[in-house]
Amino acid sequence: MGTVHAKSPEKDENEGAKMDLQALKARVQRVHVDGLGRTKDDIVINTVRDVFTARDFQSVIIKIHEARTRLSKLGCFKDVGVFIDTYNGPDALNEGIEVTFEVREINFVGAKVNTAVGNNEAQFSTGGMLRNIFGRAEELSCEYTHGTKKTTSFYTTFFKPFHNEASTNLTTSIYQQASEAPWSGYRELDRGVLLSLSFNSAPNVQQKLILDGVWRHLTTLSRTTAFAVREQAGHSLKSALRHELHVDKRDDLVFPSDGVAFTLKNELAGLGGDIGFIKNELDMQVNVPLPKDIVLQGALLAGHLLPLRNNKTYVITDRFMLGGPMNVRGFEMAGIGPHSDGCSLGAEMFWAAALHAYVPLPLLSRGGTFSDKFRLHAFINTGNIGEFVLTDNYKQNLQTLLRDMRLSYGAGLAMSLGGFARVELNYCIPLLLQRGDRPNQGLQFGVAANFL
Amino acid sequence: MPSVLLTDSISVELGAQEPWPADVKLFQQYEVEQILLPDNANCLAVQAFLKMSRLNFTLDMRGNAEHMSPSGRVPFIKAGAFVVAELDPIVAFVANKGVSLTEGLDTTQKADMRAYMSLVSNVLANAELYISWIDQITYDEVTKSRYGSVYPWPINRILTHQKRNQIIRRLRVLGWKQKTLEEVYSEVEHCCSALSERLDNNDFFFGNRPTELDALVFGHLFTLLTTPLPDNRLATIVRSFANLVKLCQIIEKDFFERNNGGSSNGNGEGDYDKLEDLNQVPQEM
Repeated sequence: MGTVHAKSPEKDENEGAKMDLQALKARVQRVHVDGLGRTKDDIVINTVRDVFTARDFQSVIIKIHEARTRLSKLGCFKDVGVFIDTYNGPDALNEGIEVTFEVREINFVGAKVNTAVGNNEAQFSTGGMLRNIFGRAEELSCEYTHGTKKTTSFYTTFFKPFHNEASTNLTTSIYQQASEAPWSGYRELDRGVLLSLSFNSAPNVQQKLILDGVWRHLTTLSRTTAFAVREQAGHSLKSALRHELHVDKRDDLVFPSDGVAFTLKNELAGLGGDIGFIKNELDMQVNVPLPKDIVLQGALLAGHLLPLRNNKTYVITDRFMLGGPMNVRGFEMAGIGPHSDGCSLGAEMFWAAALHAYVPLPLLSRGGTFSDKFRLHAFINTGNIGEFVLTDNYKQNLQTLLRDMRLSYGAGLAMSLGGFARVELNYCIPLLLQRGDRPNQGLQFGVAANFL
Repeated sequence: MPSVLLTDSISVELGAQEPWPADVKLFQQYEVEQILLPDNANCLAVQAFLKMSRLNFTLDMRGNAEHMSPSGRVPFIKAGAFVVAELDPIVAFVANKGVSLTEGLDTTQKADMRAYMSLVSNVLANAELYISWIDQITYDEVTKSRYGSVYPWPINRILTHQKRNQIIRRLRVLGWKQKTLEEVYSEVEHCCSALSERLDNNDFFFGNRPTELDALVFGHLFTLLTTPLPDNRLATIVRSFANLVKLCQIIEKDFFERNNGGSSNGNGEGDYDKLEDLNQVPQEM
């Protein structure tokens, strides 16, 4: 058989093989979906209904491809195969086509085990999930994490997608989360209930409405913890309504070469419980491609907390901290702003800005998967934190915000980690600092998913 | 219970060099709406001790005092950079500053004093815990609402429940959980009669000067006498020992009333029911 194609085929034969697919009439008359078990018919029908609208062969293929993509994105199936055949039923048209989607449903029960090291502690986590519970891609998952510092965290989450145009998802979870803030000398144990509704109001624009009720227990880490932190130890109950707006038009999460990203978070705490404040946070990033694969990136972070004075209070964990290897570089973690006995106290207002220039690693061929994970960068970071008093006078406000600001610069190597987090090794030189800050001149290493 | 940690001793050692700072604060829970019988007794004992030692302090009431304390118990003092909790470590801390109430005592008397102090902490403190947390009527009518008063719903319920479980576990280990209310009352009576015998007709337990034993006994007995409870049997028992009541009156008069006169005493002021009012407290039974 091999000899047939060993010779190049005749030229006119080749031309005859070309067909105008758009001219070829075709019509899908029947669609089968094989392999459905738990999955409900209505979401599958809605997903594939579109293929009946095609009137020629090319659009049939395109519609089928789209339907297949949508099917696999439902979250109910492991894989989706497609078979196309002519339709032979009694009411068959000449151009009648029959499409069969062969799906394999995901397993009802899943499990995972992993270990992680970070935040000065090693953690072991194990979890299980029930997928596609009610046949519409609902998922119930549990995760339990135990750390070497006797911290125990768990999450129980129920996720329900609505399969509509806006990709609306509802998530509810019950959780316990332990964390440590050695820079402020306290440990925090959160237990809470979360209700989150997310939807896309435009392409690349995601909005989230979150209701969060959390019982927080702060304990001091050691005897040397500053008294200013010690007096905030104890229990508090926060219930908050939060709105988040995410706009992301970047071409990559870690090393974008073009595009803008923008996040705005507004939180109102004090619907119940003893904690009350209004908190606004802004995160902005702009990327500009330059010749020779150089990318210029500007970033701005800002936050403002307004305490509600009606019997409500707020504690250190609600306040903003500034500084760190992935924040304002050249300072230790939370190393900028008010301190007491070596413990960072945070403040009610902050801003930070950064300007980065990224270049790919020299001497490596461009476009390789290896060299794509690395960048060299030079940066200037600046920021300020404090209890600023703002007025209606913009000029005066600007002066207030810029007074005593911190600035550092440096350069280093950055690596993408799994496409969402980043590792950096930088040499940093803090240039402007204030009394009480904890600067870190020299090499600084950092890992984070959110960075300035 | 005294819990002298290694870190306690280190901070005591380090703190020895400096004199008693001017801005010492004693932290405890809110006296009117929050504090419970056992905590109140301990706080009053430490206050009495500091006043007997003629050391200045100010009283600072915080809803989360228990959680601020390095040992998890009240009261605790903040002296300069040092935070020291509970009577025994505070006595040691003060002794390192060169202030002691037991200088005139010989070794036997000191051992005697320690024995009586541990009797008081073992019997009276546990009896107070029993009444507050295990006796159902007192728990429902007093403890529940007072302990949860500083927290919002629903964590007030959860935290009170947690605290109760913790106390029950502790009392079970110490063998107090199994006792009946009558047994607890008779333990208290025995303890009081032992103290009363030791005190005899003296003004204080050891000679004519108060020691930390007097402070501790005052803290517990005064609290028992003045705290209104659904069942005031404890107050009745204490009141039946006239010399102990007299001790409380003397200490109250000498150390807690004089501060209004602006003497060298601390200016810690609480809402103490005066012992003179004792006769107006309904004496049932």
